[in-house]
Amino acid sequence: MSPPDLELQLRRIITRGRVLVSPAQLAGYAADGLGYKNYPPDAVVIPADAEELAHFMRCAAGLGVPVCLRGAGTSLSGGPVAAQGGVIVHTSGLRSVRTVCPEGFWCEVECGVALNALDDVLKPHGLFYPPDPSSGPVCTLGGNIATNAGGAHCFRYGVTSNYVLGVEVVLLDGRVRRFGGPAGGRGPWREDWKRFMIGSEGTLGAFTRFWLRLLPLPEKVWTFRATYPDLRTVEAAIHALVAHASFPAAIELLDPRGVAMVESSQMACGLPKGSFMLLTEIDGPGVLVDARVSAVAEILRGAGSNDVVFSDEEAMRQKLWKARKAAGGLLGQLSPDYVVQDAVIPKRALAEVLQLVYDESDAAGLRAVNVFHAGDGNLHPNFLFDSRVPGELEKVELISKRLMQRVVEVGGTLSGEHGIGNDKAAYMPMIFGPDEIRLQLAVPAVFNPTHQLNPLKVFTGRRFAA
Amino acid sequence: MKPQPSIARPEESPDYFSNCTHCGFCLAVCPTYKLTGDENNSPRGRLRLWSEEAAGRLPRDPWTDHYTSECVGCLACEPACPATVPYGEIFERVRHEHVAARRATPALSLRLAAAAVAHPALFGAALLPARVLRRAGFNMHRFLFPGRPAVIESTSAYVKKLMARQRPTGPRVAFLTGCLMEAMFREINFATVRVLVENNVRVVIPEDQGCCGAFQSHTGLEGAEALAEKNRRAFGPLEVDAVVSNSSGCGYALGKALQGHHRVRDVLDFLGDLRPVRRVRASGDPTRIYVDLPCHLVHGQKLSGIPANVLDATGFRWELAPRAKDCCGSGGVYNLQKPENARAILAEKSAFLNAAAGDPVVLATSNHVCMMQWHSAGATGLVTRPYKVKHVIQLLDPGEEFSPVPVQTTP
Ligand SMILES: Cc1cc2nc3c(=O)[nH]c(=O)nc-3n(C[C@H](O)[C@H](O)[C@H](O)COP(=O)(O)OP(=O)(O)OC[C@H]3O[C@@H](n4cnc5c(N)ncnc54)[C@H](O)[C@@H]3O)c2cc1C
Ligand code: SF4
Ligand code: SF4
Repeated sequence: MSPPDLELQLRRIITRGRVLVSPAQLAGYAADGLGYKNYPPDAVVIPADAEELAHFMRCAAGLGVPVCLRGAGTSLSGGPVAAQGGVIVHTSGLRSVRTVCPEGFWCEVECGVALNALDDVLKPHGLFYPPDPSSGPVCTLGGNIATNAGGAHCFRYGVTSNYVLGVEVVLLDGRVRRFGGPAGGRGPWREDWKRFMIGSEGTLGAFTRFWLRLLPLPEKVWTFRATYPDLRTVEAAIHALVAHASFPAAIELLDPRGVAMVESSQMACGLPKGSFMLLTEIDGPGVLVDARVSAVAEILRGAGSNDVVFSDEEAMRQKLWKARKAAGGLLGQLSPDYVVQDAVIPKRALAEVLQLVYDESDAAGLRAVNVFHAGDGNLHPNFLFDSRVPGELEKVELISKRLMQRVVEVGGTLSGEHGIGNDKAAYMPMIFGPDEIRLQLAVPAVFNPTHQLNPLKVFTGRRFAA
Repeated sequence: MKPQPSIARPEESPDYFSNCTHCGFCLAVCPTYKLTGDENNSPRGRLRLWSEEAAGRLPRDPWTDHYTSECVGCLACEPACPATVPYGEIFERVRHEHVAARRATPALSLRLAAAAVAHPALFGAALLPARVLRRAGFNMHRFLFPGRPAVIESTSAYVKKLMARQRPTGPRVAFLTGCLMEAMFREINFATVRVLVENNVRVVIPEDQGCCGAFQSHTGLEGAEALAEKNRRAFGPLEVDAVVSNSSGCGYALGKALQGHHRVRDVLDFLGDLRPVRRVRASGDPTRIYVDLPCHLVHGQKLSGIPANVLDATGFRWELAPRAKDCCGSGGVYNLQKPENARAILAEKSAFLNAAAGDPVVLATSNHVCMMQWHSAGATGLVTRPYKVKHVIQLLDPGEEFSPVPVQTTP
């Protein structure tokens, strides 16, 4: 369809929301959180509400161009971008928290609600929704559920999929389907189809609303920060924490290069040079967690730290989290671009894989910083580079590929929480054989047989042919 | 209307924008993104438009001009940005370039006003009739909140009189009287100096001070640098403990101008250090104060808020307005340039007043431009119950005669 025709069609379909077609209106939608990779769409629509989004989906087949859903566009894997051109559907018009049911411990939200905005609504009810990706201030529940997002506290609480009771999806045939609901489970369906939807990265349908499971806010939280002279001691601490009955909510790690970065910035908090910084938290009913504090502190010391600080006071806890939270932003101050990988490895392979990251980045003359969810073995090596320097991105991509190969060899996997998108799609054959790929493609073959929805994502071969 | 693109030469070095990592954290706080849901109308979107154009990848496009003009300049995106992108500085620069290149044209009335505020004496004289009317209770515009400004006596003359009468002995401050504040809302300046003097502060008013330059930077018009230079000459050599301002926007602009010379402090923040004299109200006074925090106080000057001991010293029962750190839509002259957006932003912010407890209900803030915006909520029917808009300093005011109300020092 020629651009003027497409615009005309879209204006007919979207009458209450917005249609964007000028090059300057498309520029902002060319990239996700990987700002250096651009895929300008042919058009963007911002439906005014769920009804208009459903109407758009009903007409989408007739447009004959790819369609890609977009929440806040914070994906770090090239998920919400128009890799094959076409129309981006921005869900910013669907921002209402429709119901909170404190007795039933569930809520009903639209897909464009920002994660922290939901928390603000839940707090007065004494409730919370546990998955906590660090993009919480802005990322949407639609994006979270489409990527099965994780976060620091998912070590104890589990990732997004554990909290989705139901998903309402508009399929490409324009029909609105509801898988699950406030009661959870598979509903009247034979299979638990909402599970297919979670983590589907916009390749099966457009989510419009969700029913989410909630928990009572923990009465008390203790935060611990400890530093370790080397990897051997910090690993001992992680293993001991994981195995201990007090079951921490989060176990986060910052490597010595991350510590050095924080300490040489205005966010410095006096961490010893060359140390690994471990952060852990326990939460629950006051008397119960209070009783466990000394045991956790003992574990941290016993593993070889003589620098263990802990507190249950909000201000002090924030201070302890400071280095961990600052790290992400500091990357941006240090370097124009960075790639963050999202591999998950068995914890025993940590030392080996970290060494590979250091060796490879040193050899390429690039900086690498590791800040990650150590409890789940979810590594986040950040490679800093400058996309304007010819060859740097290619270097980073080569290192990433070697890293992924090693990750697969040690029994790990490609993504813990960011999704595959198009950034990691090429790695899929490293981990899956042709038959496993065939099986996985059977799912979109039912829901999205022409690959009109988010083509070229997850599997490189998913190309839309009008 | 559909703006048509035209090709233009890139004017900026792309380096200037390069530390935005495209993380999107700034979207959540941006009033124009919340209003439109359009990524181009967000900080990340605008930065991208400017950098793409600067790098020569995007032709000059009326939509870029449009999205640039939509920014309120509230700076909420700065503290939200983990990579400390200096959005405000970049935006100001782009706005000036757009005006210089006629990609944006401020209305004639604004251009005239910008020229006028550069000459405070003239501006003050020109607005004399307006002061007379305001003093007499005729508030002929939706932005004009009631007040009784002195018509002839200037703040400077008043300070001299007050200093001679009260003879304070404490810290010495230089006070920025401002252009619109002095020409139109002079009663707030008078209250400010009364509060300072009552708290034993010695006040000086440099006669040759100029407008802070905020008006020029809000409109993208020329002249801010000349005003900054003028103020450096006026304030720079003074031996004072601080330069204080009673308008967060002016204080922010003057702070930038006096960098390396003086620290410019918001008068309320300055009072917070002094354990201000506390007003005592009748017990059971049903007045309720809802405090809103101006963007240029919390995002511009990066203060955490108005000190609690200062608010306590008003003697009233107070609380922060809901979403007190969010923009009210005033944005300097934004409410004149983009009245629909400004009104939509205000509608959301002010809705709580309709059902807010208290009698009377007072919305208190610390920037006269925000006061005007808040007043318009009532004048244009967004808020249908009666409420008053006050500067926090007015709630601390001892009154003309340094009222005989018993006072005590806050702990
Ligand atoms: C600084 C930073 C920190 C981050 N930290 C974490 C972290 O700790 N944990 C983590 O898991 N992720 C993290 N991320 C990645 C990202 O924030 C998450 O993937 C998030 O879930 C994406 O949400 P979004 O609204 O931005 O979705 P988008 O980026 O807009 O989209 C993500 C995917 O979801 C699909 N999608 C979005 N909405 C819908 C819908 N309504 N229907 C169907 N499909 C849809 C899109 O097509 C795309 O494939 C981080 C990102 C950044 C920039
Ligand atoms: S200054 Fe305010 S309106 Fe402008 S981009 Fe930043 S947050 Fe948005
Ligand atoms: S928060 Fe800062 S780094 Fe992130 S997108 Fe906005 S301006 Fe860029």
